Amino acid sequence: MSAISALGSETADPASGSHPPDDRIGVRSRRRYLLYALRRVIQAIFVIILAYVITFFVISVLGSNPIQTTLSSPQAGLDPSSIKKLEAYYGVNGSILHQLWLGLSRFLRGQLGTSLQYHLPVSKLILTALPYTLKLGGMALLISLLFACLLAYGSQRFPLAAGRSFIRSIPSFFLSVPNFVIGLLLIELFSFHFHTFDVLNPDNLVGTICAAFALAIPISAPLSEVLIANLDTEGAQEYALVARSRGLTEAKLFLRHLVKPSSVPAITMFAIIIGELMGGALITEEVFGRTGVGTVMYQAVTTGDAPVLQAVVALAAAVFVVANLIADLVAPLVDPRIELVGPRAAGGLVRGLGRGFQAGNLLGSR
Amino acid sequence: MSFAAVPQPAGPRLLSRRRLRVLALPPTVLLSFVIVAIVLLWALFPSLFTSHSPVTAVPTQKFLPISSAHWFGTDYLGRDNFTRVIYGTRSSVLNAFVAVGIGLLVGGVFGLLAGFLGGITDALIGRGVDVLLAIPGFLLAVVLVVSLGFNTINVAIATGITMTAIFARIMRAETLKIRQSVFVESSYLQGGSPLFVLFRHILPNAYRSVLALAVLQLGNAIIIIAAIAFLGYGSPPPASDWGLLISNGANYQQIAPWLIYCPAAVVVITVLSINRISRWLRNTN
Repeated sequence: MSAISALGSETADPASGSHPPDDRIGVRSRRRYLLYALRRVIQAIFVIILAYVITFFVISVLGSNPIQTTLSSPQAGLDPSSIKKLEAYYGVNGSILHQLWLGLSRFLRGQLGTSLQYHLPVSKLILTALPYTLKLGGMALLISLLFACLLAYGSQRFPLAAGRSFIRSIPSFFLSVPNFVIGLLLIELFSFHFHTFDVLNPDNLVGTICAAFALAIPISAPLSEVLIANLDTEGAQEYALVARSRGLTEAKLFLRHLVKPSSVPAITMFAIIIGELMGGALITEEVFGRTGVGTVMYQAVTTGDAPVLQAVVALAAAVFVVANLIADLVAPLVDPRIELVGPRAAGGLVRGLGRGFQAGNLLGSR
Repeated sequence: MSFAAVPQPAGPRLLSRRRLRVLALPPTVLLSFVIVAIVLLWALFPSLFTSHSPVTAVPTQKFLPISSAHWFGTDYLGRDNFTRVIYGTRSSVLNAFVAVGIGLLVGGVFGLLAGFLGGITDALIGRGVDVLLAIPGFLLAVVLVVSLGFNTINVAIATGITMTAIFARIMRAETLKIRQSVFVESSYLQGGSPLFVLFRHILPNAYRSVLALAVLQLGNAIIIIAAIAFLGYGSPPPASDWGLLISNGANYQQIAPWLIYCPAAVVVITVLSINRISRWLRNTN
């Protein structure tokens, strides 16, 4: 993809054919990169705002005023004065647009509201749970990267052709196993059979590693598919042929020439992985009985705690967008061929997702 | 790909080569089709495959392990687990079809419009897709289910809505690619109206990629619907959605592991078969 767009830019832009002094190229490309970065940041802010709006409409409009419903239900156990206070805070008696404005403007200033269930600031609930989810998610990210790299390397370098094609079928298998099944299987093995951790107290090292594995396995599948597809493409390029004809061994070719260009589209996958991690954490934390942001959301669903739901989902979208932003900002630094301006530029925010998705799931064979 | 550009006499030969290809189906693909067919039959005619009732408790037969009488064992009420799985197929699998149908229809139409009309329509739809993709799909589906109500059909609708963005994107990409091809240009030059081009050239050529994606998303939808049912946001018991069966089985993991692993194996084998078919569709493109 990037190779094609680089070709396009060369034919379209005659300036790149001439050779201005080196420092001028540096200045121009740096300015171009800064402009690109600025545009990306502004786009990201807009997408975050719109994601908040969509979430708000799903929760508060489609769910027909859940805050009012929860507040007035006797289970909330609130006295009339605090109901009044919360109603005034969320503006539930005003129009829906007024409520949206209140919520959105507070969200942008970092205020997430008060939980209807715990009568605590939502930000406090999330911050208390966040370290557990970060630990789990970070570990899962590492494991899925490790898995993907191993599978990608094996798909190219495994000695037997049958073994290579077997390795290529593993990601598809990983995609077919729900993560809660992996989780239950790991609990069975490591808690019930080997007694390495207690299901009632899952926050020890082995328990966390097991949970991270359950979370990581489905995530490593698209990542390794993209890596394998890219290695196939890059390995078939002429420069690889040239390198081979120069007498480079396959291993050296792999390490020196193929790894870097193949990992660029994988960088754009980074954001998808973050998004998947957040969805997966909801299930994994529930299966392993862990505390974390997923559990906070699970309880918010059970108790109809709309402000918490709104905050968790909007924050998840924000994290996803920021991860995507980072990927989009890093990719041109790793691969200078990526175009920054013009109709073929890296594209709108999350367009990397489309590329990653196509490479991963649909066009993997190309 | 570009059948319209192929001269007429080549038509029949292409057809026969295609027929040969079907005969030479790889064995794993054939097996996948058989498995999917069985699962679909379970969904449509559950009573043909079992003589037990999925809801009537048999107190004398609690927690029986796997045997020839009870292929998947029995649960805490003495109900036959195999029967529960078969009766849960309808809601687990047919709802996945509903989800993909919604995603395909809504996303497909938007993607087609974006790619075909271009300009401001394309930009607007593109932004919308970006925003929809920015919300992690599973969380969006859960929030949608919370608002719509805990029911498996609502889970299917929610899953379908989260899938529209991906379908829109792929449909747009395909439409753009085909719209720029020579045979579309020649069709316009011969006086073809935009609608004619759309139905005669763009849809027939785009459908193969979109179909491969739809099949892939079908497997995905089964997993998402199972996951949401596992969390307890699907139809409540005595429904026996696959995800619900697994989550109920998890309560008895140490005394009756078959309650987890039999439905889990059914999910995995079904999705694996669907993914294999999707890969085959993609590679024979």
